[in-house]
Amino acid sequence: MSYPDLPAKGPSGDIVGKPRRNTAATRFYLTNEFGLIALIVLFALAFQFATDGFFSPFNLFSLGRIAAVNIMIGLAMMVVVITGGLNLAVGAIGVCAAMTCGYLIEVVGLPWPIAILSAVALGAMLGFINGWTSVRTGLHSFIITLATMSIFFGVMIFLTRAESYRALPPVFAAFGRMKLLGIFSPLLLVSLMAALFLGYLYNLTAVGREMLAAGAKPEAAEMSGINVGRIFIYCHMLSGALAACAALMLVARNGAAIPSMAGQLGQDWLLIAFLGPVLGGTLLTGGKASVLGTCLGAFLVTMLTSGLLLLQLGDFWIQSFLGLLLLAAVLMDKTRRTFLARRNMA
Amino acid sequence: MNGSLANAMRSDWFGPLLVTIIAVVIVGSFNPSFLSPLNIQVLLLAIAVNGLIAFSQMLIIAIGQMNLSVGAIGGLCAIVFAGMMDVWHVPAPLAALSALSIGVICGIINGVLIARTGISAFVITLATLSVYKGINLGITHAQPFYNIAESVKSVGQGAIFGVVPWLMLPTMAVGLVLWFMLNRQPIGRFILAVGGNQHAAELSGISIENTVVTAHALSGFLAALAGLLLVARLQMGQPTIGDDWLILSFAAPVIGGAILAGGHVSVPATLLGVVIVAIITQALVLFDIDPFLVQVVLGAMILAAVGANRFRESRLSRKLKRL
Repeated sequence: MSYPDLPAKGPSGDIVGKPRRNTAATRFYLTNEFGLIALIVLFALAFQFATDGFFSPFNLFSLGRIAAVNIMIGLAMMVVVITGGLNLAVGAIGVCAAMTCGYLIEVVGLPWPIAILSAVALGAMLGFINGWTSVRTGLHSFIITLATMSIFFGVMIFLTRAESYRALPPVFAAFGRMKLLGIFSPLLLVSLMAALFLGYLYNLTAVGREMLAAGAKPEAAEMSGINVGRIFIYCHMLSGALAACAALMLVARNGAAIPSMAGQLGQDWLLIAFLGPVLGGTLLTGGKASVLGTCLGAFLVTMLTSGLLLLQLGDFWIQSFLGLLLLAAVLMDKTRRTFLARRNMA
Repeated sequence: MNGSLANAMRSDWFGPLLVTIIAVVIVGSFNPSFLSPLNIQVLLLAIAVNGLIAFSQMLIIAIGQMNLSVGAIGGLCAIVFAGMMDVWHVPAPLAALSALSIGVICGIINGVLIARTGISAFVITLATLSVYKGINLGITHAQPFYNIAESVKSVGQGAIFGVVPWLMLPTMAVGLVLWFMLNRQPIGRFILAVGGNQHAAELSGISIENTVVTAHALSGFLAALAGLLLVARLQMGQPTIGDDWLILSFAAPVIGGAILAGGHVSVPATLLGVVIVAIITQALVLFDIDPFLVQVVLGAMILAAVGANRFRESRLSRKLKRL
């Protein structure tokens, strides 16, 4: 998402000689997005040669289904990371929303569209609690969301007695199983829509630009008349709503709302939630969002996981591998930034 | 006399101690079995393990960072300890020593990566959390090790005078050493100085890298020790050891008044934080309150504690301004 507006950023446009164009091209080759696309192509070819049926319609379909959820989780984290904060409670909020949806359909008997809307609204509300608490107390969102992760998950487990909702209307499972053109899952379309919406938000709307400004330099943003506290609360609400969407997509994939679908306290989502944005070049200190990068990052992670599973290298080691990938990603990002800074290109 | 009381009231451990005493009196009067020897032993067992977990995180909070991988290191060392005894029939002391050194190595890896690259401790320890947990699962295939040496089992079950579990001893020793280190030793003062103001510490000649790596190595050691104690207590090496340490490891130091920005932690107050958490968890069990609510209570306690710390901090700074 950062590439299209790069040329406009250059110094006043009179010396449009060859060197500047070269810099722009080099810059593009040095973006995370380009690196990710190259890696995706590279690994796709490698897996195609090394495994049977990596490009089979079935594998592509299941890849898309998993990638869709992972992209959504990554986006849910990204929208808070741009404020310089983080949201450890994405998993807990997601599970709360999914269980609410299951409860509203199965116990209350609401029609499913209303249940879905209420679940997303609940996600936004829990996000509001995170944002409001962190803004009003002035404490870092790390400790606030660590506490709320425990609270949200605990209340959810207490209310549901750790029971699943399995009697969901068939439309959920049907949506999860549906195939477009034989290989695409419609879940991917949902993630694509969320990504397009975020791209629109950050590039073309005032509130989106305010989010980026407030994340980059809160003091400066406050001075220029942005209500930073309110903007941060919006970011947390957006994160909650996106986490709820991710969980609902997972419900469609599983055909049931299961309390353990994000692990203990929703911790299982944390790694994937950070992998996407970090691989995609979102700054953890805030102020820079890369929607396309996050999507590509989450997709790359999903593809690597699935390829390694197909290679049968021992599925218990996958988690170690993902951890190493995150390490490699942050180290490479660091070197890239040093390189750019040395050449005065950043 | 008046002055020393006022001093005590201002110290970190006074609030938690007051809460502990009130909690013991209230729970004890409603349910006399709370103060039975058996219950006290259960309480102390929980405090022994959780105390080490809290100290492990406390050291990293002291340098103004966080260590998400405490649980993963503890779990990895626990299954290394149990696995060496089960599979290779290594004698217990040797297995314990190897497990502890693996804990130190894991900590050093964290510390070096953070100090050398300057990347935030959150991301580095999130990545190593996943690496260590993955190695744990790769070794165990999620199956526990059952054949633990008899000596370890008897240490895990034994108690001095039938009340104080043997496992309490390492925790008390660690607490004393840490207190001595943080208050009387150069390295302890370095750790607090780096946490308080990294730039000032560097200018006064403290090696940031050495201090950060030392703190992480100690943190890894303590996490490993907590894992070993848990193996002795559970009488087996569970691959799930460490999965639920994250919230707890932050709760106790924060209740003990630790400032998350670094530079200010207290060993006795952190231990009291562990005691408070243990008493409240135990009270929920005694009063037949749903165990699922423990998570909610822990989260609420973290929020309350950080809120109270924040309040104290702002009052202190206002007082300083008036001077």
